Amino acid sequence: MAEDTREPLDWDSLEVGETFERYDYVLTAEMIDMYRKGVMDPEAAFPTISHKVDVKQYTKKYRDNGSVNARCAFHCYNPPIPGKRITVTAWIADKYLRRGKNYIVTEAVSVDEAGRLIDRVITHELKQPAEVGKKWVN
Amino acid sequence: MGKLTDKCEQGVEVGPLVKEMTQEAINLFEGSAGQTGPSQFTDDETARETLGTEGTVASGRMSLTFAIELLRRHFGAEVFNRTGVVDLRFLRPVRPGHTLTLKGTVSEVTREPNGSRVSVDIEVTNQDGNVAGVGTGSVIVPTAYLSPEL
Repeated sequence: MAEDTREPLDWDSLEVGETFERYDYVLTAEMIDMYRKGVMDPEAAFPTISHKVDVKQYTKKYRDNGSVNARCAFHCYNPPIPGKRITVTAWIADKYLRRGKNYIVTEAVSVDEAGRLIDRVITHELKQPAEVGKKWVN
Repeated sequence: MGKLTDKCEQGVEVGPLVKEMTQEAINLFEGSAGQTGPSQFTDDETARETLGTEGTVASGRMSLTFAIELLRRHFGAEVFNRTGVVDLRFLRPVRPGHTLTLKGTVSEVTREPNGSRVSVDIEVTNQDGNVAGVGTGSVIVPTAYLSPEL
């Protein structure tokens, strides 16, 4: 197994405003079809949701104990077009401590190769995922 | 262009939308982004190790997608897919075998430079009637879609 060379997360020193390296991907018709089957909605227009683009670059850079999605906001601007390359810019939007638990808020904006703004996603992640099992075993 | 006035008045109910959660649906959702390795969403053992739950859970982003569908069906894709917003908090894990019911209520209509923002309170309940998620959504409806008095 390859060595994990990512930085261990130090929540205290994580800086709000840290912007990650941009990345891009092509949203294929196959991805869209699979997403629509998964969400049982043949007209679902934002398959970008399943790509979790706001945390992708965070996860690439930092190593932590995992996370649980506590809150997510999604802004629709233009449905993505199959086959177009999408560029994502993501950053740390906020962090906070609530009831002794650490949260990180990531935000990302997606734009396609024609310059169309696709969507904006903001996610609050609880960084102590084992808390879920303590409260909701089943 | 159909008028939306009757769908935008305060107190109007939105939905319901019912979704039967299965492991197959979760796997398709995760797989659609090329995520093929074991995760808390697709593998019971990983879920036990990471979350301490008995088995897999669904990503909150699936519930988010359902809430988006709820509002898109109500307001229409033409309007919602360009101006829609959903903000959802996840209060209980959603697991394979769960049935989710999503409902909304129009809570407020406010003027914006490009139309009227129609806000909706959203609630997600599971098969036991427990609240799995709450939040809000909104859409900006162009003035041309509304009667003058709204």
